[in-house]
Amino acid sequence: MGDRGRGERRARFHRSAALALTLAAAPACVHFDNLEEPIELATHAGDWRDQVIYQILVDRFADADYGNNYGYAPDHMARYHGGDWAGIEQNLDYLQELGVTALWISPVIKNVDTDAGVDGYHGYWAQDLTATNPHFGDLAALRSLVAAAHEREMLVIIDIVTNHLGQLFYYDINLNGQPDILIQESGKFGKPVLHTTEYDPDFDPRGIQAFTSLGEAGPAPIIFQHDPATNHMPPLPVIFQDPAVYNRKGRTYNFADPDQLLHGDFPGGLKDVDTSRCDVKQAMVDSYARWIELTDADGFRIDTVKHVERHFWRFFTQRVRQRLAEQGKKNFFMFGEAFDGDDWLVGSFTRSDYPDAPTQEQLDAEQACAAEAGGPAITGDQLDSAFYFPQYYQVIRDVFQNGDATQKIADLWAQRPMNYGTAPTAGGVGLAPADIPVNFIDNHDVPRFLFGVADRPAAERRALLHNTLLLLFTAQGIPCLYYGTEQEFAGGNDPANREDLWGSGYATDGATFRLIRRLVDIRKDRPALRRGAVNVVWASPHTGDESDAGVIAFERQGGDAGGDYALIVINTNQARDASTLFEDTVMTVSAPPGTALVDVLASGGGTFTVAGDGTLGLTLPPVSGAILVPQGS
Amino acid sequence: MRDAIDVIVLPSDKPIDVHALDRHDARKCCSVGSIVRGRSPPTRPSRRPSLASGTLFWPPRWLLLGAALALSSARAALAEPADPAEPADPSATVDPSETGEPDAPAESEAPEPAPPDEPSAQESTPATPTPASAPATEGPAPAEDTDESEKVKPHTAGDDDTTTAGQRPPDYADGFHFGSYGRVIAGGDATGRAPKNADIVARGSRMDESTYAELELRREDYWEKTGVRTRIVATTAFAHPVFHYNGDFNARLAVRNLYLEERDLGVAGLSFWAGARMYRGDDIYALDYWPLDNLNTIGGGVRYDFKTRTTLKLHAGLNQPTDPFYRQSVLRSPVHNQLGATEVEILDRQKLVSSARVSHVFGVGETGGIKLVGYGELHWVGAGQRELDAMNYQDLPSDLGFVAGGELSLFTGKRSTHLNLYGRYAHGLAAYGEWGAPSQLALDLTSKGAHEYVFALGGNYEVGPFGLLLGGYFRNFRNASAPEDFDDLTEGVILARPQLWLGKKRLFGLALEGSYQAQQRGVAVEQDDGTFKALFGQMGRVGIMPFLSPGGEGSYQRPHIRLMYMLTVRDAGARSLYPADDVFSRRGIDHFIAVGAEWWFGSTSYFRD
Repeated sequence: MGDRGRGERRARFHRSAALALTLAAAPACVHFDNLEEPIELATHAGDWRDQVIYQILVDRFADADYGNNYGYAPDHMARYHGGDWAGIEQNLDYLQELGVTALWISPVIKNVDTDAGVDGYHGYWAQDLTATNPHFGDLAALRSLVAAAHEREMLVIIDIVTNHLGQLFYYDINLNGQPDILIQESGKFGKPVLHTTEYDPDFDPRGIQAFTSLGEAGPAPIIFQHDPATNHMPPLPVIFQDPAVYNRKGRTYNFADPDQLLHGDFPGGLKDVDTSRCDVKQAMVDSYARWIELTDADGFRIDTVKHVERHFWRFFTQRVRQRLAEQGKKNFFMFGEAFDGDDWLVGSFTRSDYPDAPTQEQLDAEQACAAEAGGPAITGDQLDSAFYFPQYYQVIRDVFQNGDATQKIADLWAQRPMNYGTAPTAGGVGLAPADIPVNFIDNHDVPRFLFGVADRPAAERRALLHNTLLLLFTAQGIPCLYYGTEQEFAGGNDPANREDLWGSGYATDGATFRLIRRLVDIRKDRPALRRGAVNVVWASPHTGDESDAGVIAFERQGGDAGGDYALIVINTNQARDASTLFEDTVMTVSAPPGTALVDVLASGGGTFTVAGDGTLGLTLPPVSGAILVPQGS
Repeated sequence: MRDAIDVIVLPSDKPIDVHALDRHDARKCCSVGSIVRGRSPPTRPSRRPSLASGTLFWPPRWLLLGAALALSSARAALAEPADPAEPADPSATVDPSETGEPDAPAESEAPEPAPPDEPSAQESTPATPTPASAPATEGPAPAEDTDESEKVKPHTAGDDDTTTAGQRPPDYADGFHFGSYGRVIAGGDATGRAPKNADIVARGSRMDESTYAELELRREDYWEKTGVRTRIVATTAFAHPVFHYNGDFNARLAVRNLYLEERDLGVAGLSFWAGARMYRGDDIYALDYWPLDNLNTIGGGVRYDFKTRTTLKLHAGLNQPTDPFYRQSVLRSPVHNQLGATEVEILDRQKLVSSARVSHVFGVGETGGIKLVGYGELHWVGAGQRELDAMNYQDLPSDLGFVAGGELSLFTGKRSTHLNLYGRYAHGLAAYGEWGAPSQLALDLTSKGAHEYVFALGGNYEVGPFGLLLGGYFRNFRNASAPEDFDDLTEGVILARPQLWLGKKRLFGLALEGSYQAQQRGVAVEQDDGTFKALFGQMGRVGIMPFLSPGGEGSYQRPHIRLMYMLTVRDAGARSLYPADDVFSRRGIDHFIAVGAEWWFGSTSYFRD
């Protein structure tokens, strides 16, 4: 009995102790580490020329959190598919295996959820600049991704849009308080029937006008929608609920018209913000710098920069740099997208010499705004770099896909110092914009490279892709790889070019995946390929039977590459062999005579010796290339 | 999102809320019995309350009741309340036939027919072929929710448990009890179309009412320790269509009662209740209409039966008619950046309805009497805010209304013969009725100025094999907006149903029914001579209804199996109340043919105690 009593007492004691321990541990269980951990900004980026950017459309990369798959429809390309930030984090091994070093992720902020049956999965339909897109995760997930990337010495670039917000209001043209599609004219007497949607009416330089059957009735009021189910809700922060902060001129249909370019709504009803306003400038800085302060990300990719005034970019980029630098985030990289083949135009957003030639009055106004917002005076600095769309059109498309003369490459590159500027931005990444264009062969707004050559045999398509990738990884600038390229995705125009990466099984043994990895490795090994200046040593104006038709050869050396040297020779000719010579002229290189150059790309590693007169004659098969470096270097 | 906005009825010229009408009609059809003031049916005849639909299972109750109350009244009323400490043995009520109420001579003299569901009781009182007129018991007032029966059979110790079988409520024994009211109709017009209520007034003939049934489960307990009786009532109701009509397993189901009542709580004659309850007084069976008091709320009340055959009842309850006047939900984004949308009740105000009713019965002769009823209601709704359009809010002020009315009942105490006269005035919020949501508001967005007055009569007379049911009312409603409009109306109906019971046991019967109804509305109609007159429609109906009555004679004797034919003649004014392509808009003459059944037994709808 006594033993039993002691046993019972012991058991009671054990139960009580267990309960006490449980209660003591409880507070720890309710601690949300990811949410409560303070973020400390730091400079994670070194030389941005060393980076290989990988562009990710978050919704299509990987789905690791089924809890945020709200209203998704993965069978339809224009709908949410389920990808999220957790999915990216979960697949960092894959990215590391590929060799990329910087992740450009699509916009992180809350979007219009769906509009006319199309979802805002891409992220460019901003509704709330202060909240995350819940389809991709919460702030903790985003922070976790950035932190995980940093742990692997990878950088994160966040995509942002300042030109417009989503389709959040309509123009009440007929003053009836509801969105309509209006039909005007009868189609008789030579007058066409006109359809006007109040969501997206055509540009009117006076601002969209209301009208009735009796004629115009003054400026059409704009009415914000309130539909939580589709998140057509008034924008945030609150300043964007003021109609005055929008240009309200309707949809741009002629991009050559400067007024439309800058003040028109972006096609699709995306409402153009009046970025000339000082309060808007500051609101954009506050909204977007905050995301860096919240996540410690390393750069911005900025959408639709050509639709925004340059004085905005001067204010925005400088204030963002200053604000982040004060908190320990330096070397913050901002590159902009101007979807345009006009090299001058694209470059005009990185030059610091006021390419828009503002009047003194305009400059005074600019400084007045700067003073009003606080902080130092505004200089001419703008973006650090540009998404190199002119190269996409004139080189990737025209030369590598369509066989145009390689002289176009040389000509384009030659303009870059002038068009993009050679002076690094103050407090920026310390590099001349002309030296760090963000190169790409395709992206989410254009058909994938392979779609552009879909009419060729399969083997030829891959060769063309590989040859173009060779250019991407050896040209001066920062290579940017669109997700799925490594898996040879071949989708056409948006949204067909936004395939689910999980469809590939994240294979790492494909020919293109391995090639990219190899190019990354070569680039990593060769400072000249990352940091060297560029010198075109052979470009051909020919596209016919000429011996050099299709050849482009350029050297990478100098700059910050030390004594490293690389000669890249590419034959873009899709029909025949081509050589670095034409008639009596042979390519001259700057490598010393007698230098033995070895092709580090070829598996066999062929060797070529610079002749005594400094020339180097090479013949390459169709659609092929070589990276020649001094033997033993 | 912009939900509901278009159905908010604003003061002036807004269109009538069709949806609201639907809802109201639906309610009526379930026999709530009230007229939706201000939006009377005819406007949209097709959705009218009506006959077709609904209602009333009540009439009988008083019959039954009456019986109970019947005669016992006088004496009973004077009897001393029971000593709560020494309650009668409730078990005594188990078998009515054995009841031996010592002091209920009146009852024995005029044994009331037992409720139809109590064959034994009926058998025990075969001598009273005529169900005691009593419903009237308390007066002709058939239905009172409260029954005066209690007055009649006072709280003398044990006596309400020992009333004679025929006068007793179905069953007083502790335990579970079941009751029901029901009617089922199969029929249509001469072309085979489904039956449809044809009255142009809110309450007309019952012959073309649609199928409706209540199933009631009740728990009775007597607590010997305290002398308190408790009753828990749960009544469900089903409305047309039922499964055998459309094969649909979905039923139109309502919970009509769900309350607990405590009687003789501490003081004999004092009772309390709380819960969801139909709370009403006397009806006009022929019209399925409670002209004076008919409330449906969730709340509670108290009642006290004086020894002097006077009863006082007070009640207060809440309800919320489904209407944007009371409730508006809007979609909002979920908190903390969660996905999707969530509903928020931006307007969610309830209506507080309180009522007071005092009644007194003056005995006349051995079985007859006169009942006087004074009645009042107070309606109140708090201020609120609704959204007219996105983020465009409108403040709604609080609103008030009241009802004042009375009833005079004359009854013989024999064979349910009685005549009830009602007068009722409602103002403001109350003018729109219990379930009606104010429309056509005043400029301050209240129902101020809306009013309604009703004069009604109902009665029954039986002699030998003959019976005559009567019903009629005159009603005048004006909504709160000053200008006359379609919702402003004046209407009336008079209906008579003579009946004849045949056969030795009077198992068969033949009823004829004739009615005239008319309605005038506040819209001008151009006449042939180019002048304008207020819209005026009128209609006459005659019907014949042979029936089988296993319980024998009596206007309120049920069950019935019956055949029905009714001829309806409507004038151009009446036809104009229906929209184009509604058959009633085209037909000057209509035929209704049906077979049906009606029953009631054993539910609180038919007895009070």
